[in-house]
Amino acid sequence: MILHSSRPDARTDLLHGTLDMLILRTLQWGPQHGYAIAQAIRAQSSDVLQVEAGSLYPALQRLARQGRLTPKWGQTEANQRAKFYRLTPEGKKQLLREQSRWAELVHAISRVMTPVPAPASEE
Amino acid sequence: MSILSWLKRRRRLDEEDFREEVRAHLAIAAKERMADGADERSAHYGALKEFGNVTLTTEAARHVWTPRWVDALQDQVSDVRYAIRALKKNPGFSLTVAGVLTLGIGLNAAVFTMLKGMALSPLAGVGDSARLAVVFGETGAGRPVGLSYPDYRQLRDHDRAFSGLFGSSLAKVNLGRGRGARQIWAELVTGSYFQVLGVRAGRGRTLLPSDDIAPGRHPVVVLGAGLWRRDFGSDPDIVGKTVEINDHALTVVGVADPAFRGTTVVYEVEAFIPVMMAPQLGFSFGSQETTASGILSDRRATLFYPQGYLRPGTTLAQAAAQTGALWAALSRDRPLTDAVQRLRVVPFRETPGGAPSFVLPTLGVLSAMGLLVLTIACANIAGLVLVRGLSRRGEIAVRQALGATRTRIVRLLIVENLVLALPGAFLGVLLARQGIPVLVEYAEWLATPERVFFNMEVDLFVVGFAALVACGSALVFGLVPALRSSRVDLVSVIGEDASPRGAARSGLRAGLVVAQVAVSVLLVVGAGLVTRSLEAARRADPGFDASQVTAIALDVKQNGYDEARGRVFFHKLLEAARADAGVESATLAEHIPMGLLDTRARQVAIDGYEPRRGEDLAFMSNTVGSDYFRTLRIQLTAGRGFEDRDDETSAPVAIVNDTLARRFWGGASNAIGKRMRVAEGAWRTVVGVAADVKYSRIDESPRPYFYLPLLQSYRSSMVLHTRGASPVNRLVDQARGCVAALDGDLPILYARPMTETTRGALIFFDLAATMLFVFGVAGMALAAMGTYGLVSYSVEQSRREVGIRMALGASGHAVVRGFAGRGLRLGALGAALGAVAALGASRLLGSVLYGVSATDDTSFARALAIVLGGVLVATVVPAWRAARTNPLIALRHQ
Repeated sequence: MILHSSRPDARTDLLHGTLDMLILRTLQWGPQHGYAIAQAIRAQSSDVLQVEAGSLYPALQRLARQGRLTPKWGQTEANQRAKFYRLTPEGKKQLLREQSRWAELVHAISRVMTPVPAPASEE
Repeated sequence: MSILSWLKRRRRLDEEDFREEVRAHLAIAAKERMADGADERSAHYGALKEFGNVTLTTEAARHVWTPRWVDALQDQVSDVRYAIRALKKNPGFSLTVAGVLTLGIGLNAAVFTMLKGMALSPLAGVGDSARLAVVFGETGAGRPVGLSYPDYRQLRDHDRAFSGLFGSSLAKVNLGRGRGARQIWAELVTGSYFQVLGVRAGRGRTLLPSDDIAPGRHPVVVLGAGLWRRDFGSDPDIVGKTVEINDHALTVVGVADPAFRGTTVVYEVEAFIPVMMAPQLGFSFGSQETTASGILSDRRATLFYPQGYLRPGTTLAQAAAQTGALWAALSRDRPLTDAVQRLRVVPFRETPGGAPSFVLPTLGVLSAMGLLVLTIACANIAGLVLVRGLSRRGEIAVRQALGATRTRIVRLLIVENLVLALPGAFLGVLLARQGIPVLVEYAEWLATPERVFFNMEVDLFVVGFAALVACGSALVFGLVPALRSSRVDLVSVIGEDASPRGAARSGLRAGLVVAQVAVSVLLVVGAGLVTRSLEAARRADPGFDASQVTAIALDVKQNGYDEARGRVFFHKLLEAARADAGVESATLAEHIPMGLLDTRARQVAIDGYEPRRGEDLAFMSNTVGSDYFRTLRIQLTAGRGFEDRDDETSAPVAIVNDTLARRFWGGASNAIGKRMRVAEGAWRTVVGVAADVKYSRIDESPRPYFYLPLLQSYRSSMVLHTRGASPVNRLVDQARGCVAALDGDLPILYARPMTETTRGALIFFDLAATMLFVFGVAGMALAAMGTYGLVSYSVEQSRREVGIRMALGASGHAVVRGFAGRGLRLGALGAALGAVAALGASRLLGSVLYGVSATDDTSFARALAIVLGGVLVATVVPAWRAARTNPLIALRHQ
């Protein structure tokens, strides 16, 4: 008998998109393998963002399927075998879209959090 | 399956790749930890710990790369596999269900094949033949009348309702001459025939509109592919050769498409001749005699029912209105003295006199019966599935406990039922495929020497039908038990190992018993009514006595006799036949009574009778020799029969039947000496009145009929009848010998006892009764089996109760009585319901019954006795077995 687990991609779009964006951003400087991507995100966020393998790899699979990354087996500097992900032109376009969306979002949230004081109308 | 295996292989590769990637990740992470000073072991575990749950991650990644439908498909496949495994474990059950379904579906597929051949695609080799529409005239008395060529031409050129019209008239023609001559069915057709039907030539060309211009100027013929193969050895150079048809040399211009068998359902048509040749080939048509050139202009020379396809978007009603308006205009311009009152447009299957028109009601009844058998089969299987569901409650409870949803379990159970049903469909189609040729052969044997053709192939259509029926039945017999089994009370199942009968379930079981009994009463009543109606038809007095009478058919034209020589031949033949030892009397006749098809009606005029406007005065007739009425033992109610003195030199005479005498002269005795005439012929004096006879079919109602003496109304094609006391087969041989002695080159069309020639009129009763009998027996057997199974199961479940009762001192008889009482109560309820349903439904049987009322007491009483007897046996036997069990064993059983 097959038990259905709820699908992992049913999470909110916001987080989803954000992880994708972080991955694409990390790969902007050149192809990287999964472990290195996780480490890079962690280092650049000063250990605030810890990407779990359980989220990272499905995201990589998905991005590869969408044609935004191309996976390729290769050697690390320490001469270890690893699968490297390279950004495709389509991936670059997606990154730009995500970035501007992100900027809009941050802008909108910050307007909600720190509203401009309403001008006094009565006095 | 190849797509599935490809997907599987791809998925395996993907998975391996992913695992490799995970391994690489862990290796890199571990190495980094070691670089930071950790030892190998802790570095490895640290990396693993950081990574998290590998299996879950793999699963999550896998969901990204597998499309949803593949998942669903995999579920289905595993369901099917599981179902097959479960069914294999229980071969008795599976084989029973498959067998029962095979029978049910096989019967239905067979009936459907026939229905398809009559209603859905009645003409082989013609696309969409069911959509053909037919135009015919109708008299005030409701008698269908064909249209003449000029009327046809008018409709063809001006009727916008049809995209094209053709006419075709079935005719028996002589092929060849002398010893090798034989009679075949031909169609006399208009030039548009092949074009409208969309039938192409297999060789040479078809007939064309250019073959339809001048009377007698188109001596061509298109052969049927069967004739070409059988009689001409598939001669590749046939086109351009001549064949002799009715003493005329016709040039073969083509061979029709091999699939095409003409437009007369059931008859195999072997030649297609331009209708313009009809007068030259010796055909007269219409109720009046018409001159040869009259075909183009005489509106009374009725030839055929024009047919064609309606224009897209035109309904039959619109076509009828349009055609009717044209006809009204036509009749205003050129009044018609004939009795046609109106034109009708009907779908092909309702062609007057066509086989579908009188076979379809019977087939309708057969289909209904087939569905009833299937219903019983389904109820039967539902019972089995239900019982099996009970024994699987443990399994289902475990599944639910592990978290399977109810939908999921119901789906699994339904897949199991489908897996059960499809082999039934497959075997059912095979059964139909084996059965249909047997039926067709039987019908062909009955029809000999006529060549018949049934468009009854078990094709994809039938396979589709069977599959549909199988899936439908799987849902019917599987859904309710599945829903029921899926609703398992976990506590009750786990709490007690085996369960006593739950009230709801035994209610369903009782319902199944009642339903099966009810439906089988319905079936057995139907079968009984039809069997009794066949008996009645066999016993019915057709008005003549065919026993000890021979029938030897010949057409002297087949050896080139003209009228003068033919007269001499017939005279000598009668003399020789009468001189034979053991022959009491001998005569000649143009038609044999009860020949199934109506013969041509001819217009008569009655001296001193002024017909009402539009009154139909065309009646069927026969041309007979002297001694006819004595030989066939047709009673003469007044006057005398024909004698040898009624020849061309003496005064013209006629004999009429009782119905005609009553209608015009008020009775048989008044008719003698009165005068009538046929068409424009001489006035004839009525010299005798004969009792009514069944002229075409046993179930026809009395109608006017008259006889003319052969010596005053010559025909070349006659049947010799002899009567004698010696064995009828010897009489047949003697009569055959007489013909051969006179002319060894004259082909004998057939020679056999007359009883064999009249059985054709019973053929449909016969076939229907045989099939209904099979259906009745099959349904009855299924119902008995089902009832037995259900009752014996409930007895089995009550073993403990029986044990206790017997331990407390109940006798075996009391136990049996108890169970038998319970079973019979259910049976009686079912029988009552079935009888009520049968009373309602048997009215629908009216059209196929003869001589039996639809509410015939005997049939109902018999059916109830048979069914209740079956229920009694099905109840008492298991009860008796239960009563014999040792109480101790029964008690220990739990």
